[in-house]
Amino acid sequence: MMATQKAGSAIMGLFARNRNVITMSNLIAPRHPRTRFRAAVLMPALNEETVIGDHVASILKAVDLPIWLIDDCSTDDTAERAAKAGARVIKLPARLGAWGATQAGIREAASRGLEFVVTMDADGQHNPDDIVTLIKPIINGECDVVIGSSLERGSKARRLAWRMMRLTSGLQIQDLTSGFRVLNHQAISLLAKPRATTLDYQDVGVLLMLKQAGMRMAEVPVVMSPRANGKSRIFSSWLAVAFYMAHTLLLGTLKRSRPWNQK
Amino acid sequence: MITLLSSVFGVLVASLLLFLVRRDHLHISHGLGWALAILLCALLGFAPRIFDAMASSLGVSYSPILGVALAIAALVIKALMTDIEMSRMKVRQQRLIQKVALLESELQEMTGRPTIDD
Repeated sequence: MMATQKAGSAIMGLFARNRNVITMSNLIAPRHPRTRFRAAVLMPALNEETVIGDHVASILKAVDLPIWLIDDCSTDDTAERAAKAGARVIKLPARLGAWGATQAGIREAASRGLEFVVTMDADGQHNPDDIVTLIKPIINGECDVVIGSSLERGSKARRLAWRMMRLTSGLQIQDLTSGFRVLNHQAISLLAKPRATTLDYQDVGVLLMLKQAGMRMAEVPVVMSPRANGKSRIFSSWLAVAFYMAHTLLLGTLKRSRPWNQK
Repeated sequence: MITLLSSVFGVLVASLLLFLVRRDHLHISHGLGWALAILLCALLGFAPRIFDAMASSLGVSYSPILGVALAIAALVIKALMTDIEMSRMKVRQQRLIQKVALLESELQEMTGRPTIDD
C-alpha cells in the first residue's frame, strides 16, 4: 500500500509542473511505441474562440500533458487559437456533438495506448488545477473513472433533472452531467467501441455503459466556474432542454441495470 | 369497382417501381420488397374473396378492415426496419467522420500541410 502510494506520488510529480522526477519507466507499463506521452487532455470544442487560447495556456501551465482539442466544426477561430496556444487540433469534417467529438479523442487515445485521458469542457468552466487531484485515484489504481463533481453549480432545475436521471437510471452519481472526468485505459477501450457511438450525450448513457461493464467510478469534488460566454450549446432553448430530458430519462429507464444483472 | 381501383393502383405503383429501379433512385434490394408487396396487392385486388375467407376464419365481422389492418401492420414493420437500418448507418457514418478527422490530423502532423476543404 505504501509502495503504491509512493509510486503514485512519484507519478504525480511527473504531471505537475515544477516536478523533480525525470523518468517513470520503472514504475508503470512500457511506453507505447507510437507516442511520447502516456496521457492526454481531451477537449471537444464548438465556437469557443474568446476563451480557448487562455484556457489551453492555463492547462499547459498546470499539467505537463498534451492537449487534444477536437473541433466540432466551429465557425470561428477556435481551432486556430487553440493551435497557437499549443494544443493539437483534430478537426471533425462534420458536426457530431460533444460526445461524438469526445469519442473521436478517445478512439485516438485507444489507438495510441494511452494510460488515461482527462476530458474537459472548452468553455473555461473546469479549473486546470483540479486535474492533478482527479488523476490521483487513477494512478493509485483506486478506480477506473473519476468524475469531477460540482454540486454547487446546480440550479434548482438542474438538481431536479439530476434527481430524475438518478431515479430512472439507477445511477448513484451526484453530478451526472459533469464533463470533467478522467478515464483509465480500460474505460478508454470500452468507450472507443461502436456501441458507445450509438449514444448522443456523454452523461447517463456513457455512465451506464461504464457501470454495467464493471468499471469502478468515483466522484471528487471540484469547483467549477460559470461559463465564460454564458450560453450552453446543448441547452440552447427550452425545446432543446425538453428533448434532452425526454431522451435521457427514456434511455436511463430502458438501459438501467436489472437487479438480477447487477455486478 | 374496388377491384378495378386496386388493380389500377397496383399497375401504377409497379410502373413507378420499374422507373425508380431503372434510374437508380431505388436500390434493387428495396425493389424486391416492394415488388412482393405489389404482387400481394395485385393478388388481393383480383381475388378479394380471399379476405372474406380469412376474416371469417379469424372472427372479423367486417372483412375489408382486415386488409387495412394488415397493411398498417406491414407499414409499421417497414418503418421500424428503416429506423433500425438508419441507426446502423448513423453509427457507421459517425465513426467514419471520426476516423477521417484522426487520419487528417495525423497526416497534418507528418506533412505540415493543411487539411483538405470539404
